[in-house]
Amino acid sequence: MNIITISWIGLPFFVGFVIFLLPQLDKYLAMFAALASAVYAFQLFALPAPVKLELLNHFGVTLAVDQLSAYFILTNALVTVAVILYCWHSGKTAFFYAQTIIVHGSLNAAFASTDFISLYVALEVSGIAAFLLIAYPRTDRSIWVALRYLFVSNTAMLFYLVGAVLVYKASYSFSFAGLGKAPPEAVALIFVGLLVKGGIFVSGLWLPLTHSESETPVSALLSGIVVKAGVYPLVKCALMVEHIDPIVRVFGVGTALLGVFYAVFEKDAKRMLAFHTVSQLGFILAAPEVGGFYALTHGLVKSALFLIAGALPSRNFKELQQNPMSTPIWIALVMASFSISGFPMLSGFGAKVLTMKNLLPWQVIGMNLAALGTAISFAKFIFLPHKQEGQGSIKPGFWSAVILLIGGLLVANVVYYEAYNINNIAKPLATIAIGWLAYLLIFKRTVIKLPRLLEQFDHLIGMMSLMLILLFWMVFDISIN
Amino acid sequence: MLEEACVFATILCGFFGIILKKNLVMKIISMDVMSTGVIAYYVLIASRKGLFTPIVSDVNNGTYADPVPQAVILTGIVIGFSIQCLMLVGVMKLAQDNPTLESNEIENNNTP
Repeated sequence: MNIITISWIGLPFFVGFVIFLLPQLDKYLAMFAALASAVYAFQLFALPAPVKLELLNHFGVTLAVDQLSAYFILTNALVTVAVILYCWHSGKTAFFYAQTIIVHGSLNAAFASTDFISLYVALEVSGIAAFLLIAYPRTDRSIWVALRYLFVSNTAMLFYLVGAVLVYKASYSFSFAGLGKAPPEAVALIFVGLLVKGGIFVSGLWLPLTHSESETPVSALLSGIVVKAGVYPLVKCALMVEHIDPIVRVFGVGTALLGVFYAVFEKDAKRMLAFHTVSQLGFILAAPEVGGFYALTHGLVKSALFLIAGALPSRNFKELQQNPMSTPIWIALVMASFSISGFPMLSGFGAKVLTMKNLLPWQVIGMNLAALGTAISFAKFIFLPHKQEGQGSIKPGFWSAVILLIGGLLVANVVYYEAYNINNIAKPLATIAIGWLAYLLIFKRTVIKLPRLLEQFDHLIGMMSLMLILLFWMVFDISIN
Repeated sequence: MLEEACVFATILCGFFGIILKKNLVMKIISMDVMSTGVIAYYVLIASRKGLFTPIVSDVNNGTYADPVPQAVILTGIVIGFSIQCLMLVGVMKLAQDNPTLESNEIENNNTP
C-alpha cells in the first residue's frame, strides 16, 4: 500500500508534465490520472486502518491517509473527472488540461500530508495552478482576478510559514500534532493562513469575485475542491488537538451564517453560489468528525451547480425570470438545489442530518438558521420558469459531467442510509417549507445591495491583521482556561 | 532578542507596504520584503544552536546550525520566487491597458 500511495501522489504531476510533451493526448492522460485517483480513493475506503508513511526518516515528510482523507480524495477525483468531461469537446489547449491535473495532484498531496511544510508546498502549488487556470482566458479582468487571488493567498501563506516555524521551535518537528504544544501565536498565524486559503468567515471574502468571474469549469473546480484544501487541515487539527476543536467549531458557525446572509440578498447566480461555498464550508467545520461526508456531497453538488449555471441564458436572476430555460436543465438544477437544501433521496440530506447529529448544543441554533438561509436562497433557483424549448447554450460535455455528479449524489446515499427515518426526514422538510415560504413572501421582492467594501484588495489584506488579533485572543483565552 | 525584533520589523514593513502602497509593482516588492523577513526568521531559528555549516567533515566542531529549517525554507524561497515571476508577468499584461498600475484603478475597471 505504501508504494501505491507514493505512486498515487506522484502520478498526476508526472502526467501533467507528460501532457506538455505529448499535447495530442492531453484529455486522455488527464482523465486517466483522475480515474486512477478515484480507484485509489475507493481502495482507501476498504482499508481497515489508516496508511501512515514516513518518507526518508525522522525529519522527513510524513503522510497519513485515512477514512477522512478518503472522502476528500474521492471528491477531488470526481470533481476533476466531471470538469474534464465538461471540457472534452470545448477546444481547451493542452496547457489547460495540464494545469487541471497539476491542481488535482497538489490537492491529493494536501489531503495526504500531516506536517505543516508538506501542506505549505501543496497549498502553494495548488494556488499557482489555480492562478493559471483562472487567468486562462487572458482578458484583463481574468488576469486581475487571478492576480488578486494569488497575492492574497501568498500573503496569508507567509503568515502561515511564521506560525509553522514557531511550531518547530516548540516541538522540533513540523507535524500537526505539534500544534498542541505550540504557543498561541503559532496557532493564530497558522490559522490565518488556513482560513484565508479555505475561504472561511471574513477572510474568505476574496472568494465571491474569484469564483464568479472565472470560466464555468474553473469555477466548478475551485468551489468544488480547491477551497477544501484549506478546510481539511483545520478539520484534521481539530481532531488531533483538543483545545483547537472549539475554535474550529466557532468558525464553522460564523462562516455558515455569514455566507447565507450575503447569499439570500444576492442577485447574481454565480456570486450566490460562491457565497454558498463560503457558507457550506462552515458546515464541514462545525462537526469535524463527520466533515468528510459533507465535503463529498458539497463538492459534487457545488460543481454540478456551477456547471449548470454556466448553461443558463443569463447570470442575473431578474433576467432569468423573463427568459425561461429549457426543461432538462431545470430538472438538473432542481435536483442539485434539493440536495444542497437537504431534501431526502439525495445525499445532501444524509450529510446535513449527520452534521446536525454531531453538533455541540450551542451550535444548533446557528446551524439551523444557516440551513434555513440555504433553503431560502436555493428557492431562487427552484422557482425559475422553464419551458420545453427554452434558451441557454449547452456545451457538448455538459450532460456527461452533470449526470456523473448528480448520479454520485444519489449513490452516496449508501454512506449514511440510517438517516432515513421519520424524525430525521421531518425537520429538513419543515426547514425547506419555511424557507420557500420566506422566499416567496419576503425575499423575492427585497432589493438590498450589500456593500462590497470588504471585498476590495486592500481590505482583504488588512482583514488578515484583524483576524490575527481575533485568533490570538481566542487561542489565548482557551489556553488560559 | 534584537535579531528577532529586526526580523519581525521586516515582516511588518512588508505587510504594511502591501496595504499602503498604491502601485501594483510596489505591492509586489513589499510582498518580497515580507517573504525576505520570513526567510530570515527561519535562518535565525536554524542558528539557535550554533553557527557552523552542518556538513560533516574532518574538522570536528559540534556547534552546527540546525539543517531542517534551512532545508525547509529553501523550498519557501523557490516557491516565493516563482509566484513573484508569475505575478510580474500578470502585471506586465495589465500594464498595457493601465500604464500607471494603480491598484484601485485596475480594481474599479475590472470589478463588475
